[in-house]
Amino acid sequence: MFHDTERGIMASTSSMSGNSNVHKQLRVETERTPDKNSKKDSTEREKTPEPSTSSVSPSGKQDSSERKRKFEPSEADIKAYKHKREKQEEERLKMQVLVSNFTEEQLNRYEMFRRAAFPRAAIKRLMQSITRTSVSHNVVIAMAGIAKVFVGEVVEEALDIMEKWKETGPIQPKHLREAVRRIRKRDSLSKPKKVLLNT
Amino acid sequence: MKPEVQCVYANRPRSVVRSFNMAEGGDFQFDEDEVEDDIPLEKRKKIFLKELRCMMYGFGDDRNPYTESVELLDDLVIEYITEMTKKAMEVGRPGRISVEDIIFLIRKDPKKYSRVKELLMMNEELRKARKAFDEIKYAATK
Repeated sequence: MFHDTERGIMASTSSMSGNSNVHKQLRVETERTPDKNSKKDSTEREKTPEPSTSSVSPSGKQDSSERKRKFEPSEADIKAYKHKREKQEEERLKMQVLVSNFTEEQLNRYEMFRRAAFPRAAIKRLMQSITRTSVSHNVVIAMAGIAKVFVGEVVEEALDIMEKWKETGPIQPKHLREAVRRIRKRDSLSKPKKVLLNT
Repeated sequence: MKPEVQCVYANRPRSVVRSFNMAEGGDFQFDEDEVEDDIPLEKRKKIFLKELRCMMYGFGDDRNPYTESVELLDDLVIEYITEMTKKAMEVGRPGRISVEDIIFLIRKDPKKYSRVKELLMMNEELRKARKAFDEIKYAATK
């Protein structure tokens, strides 16, 4: 029920509060990835991953590069990829320094943060009771990850609210309810409203 | 006091509420399909309590979070997953869920989007590593 992320500390930084720098960097990376590195994108969708050069004929068209794999990544792509790798490495080192300076309480909390996860079996059971068809393994993994981020958002928002209301102690249900209300409001506002016909 | 319609759903996958204790809430009927809609919040069985406690502590709450808070979060999570699943069923191929559907739904939320991409990438790497390991083992035992 706990899964250990073996990867570098970079792995969970997207959910950590208080480090807006990291969050912004990740956001930039996310926006860049779908456009620039289509090879990486299509790799994730493949059911049986294979080395890219063998079976795909080179496609000269830029606009269909989303579908077909590039035969050879261009110079600019290689540079961008290396640059991204370097940044990730730098991020990893920074996190290492940070974690090495944690107090015991912080270490405990960080360990819980990394290790806590939703059991995949229960999520699968829940989803299958809704869809009534079988649900693939990857979907369960994705959903468990999303649910954890959701919990993180609610808890962090609730903590902000507690601070604003100058209350202490464990989080109470009223904070959680207010947090959910605010998050929902924010989401509905960020979506551009469709223009009504008669306004 | 199960409704007769239960027999139609005999081969349905068991729902979460199957283990619900009928002795406690015998005055209302429940349908195994409509798990999330019919059962009032307080009576739903909580399925994520243990994990949620650790998760709340990890995200910044007290070491011992209030049980009401944990239960409320449990309901919120189940509701969230249910909503996502229902929406994902409608997107793409109706009636089926694929990873692309989930990614499509999440696209506006940078945190969740990058987390899903990262998880899937890690999973792929692990699979490749395991496959390579198995091949080495196979070659060694030949």
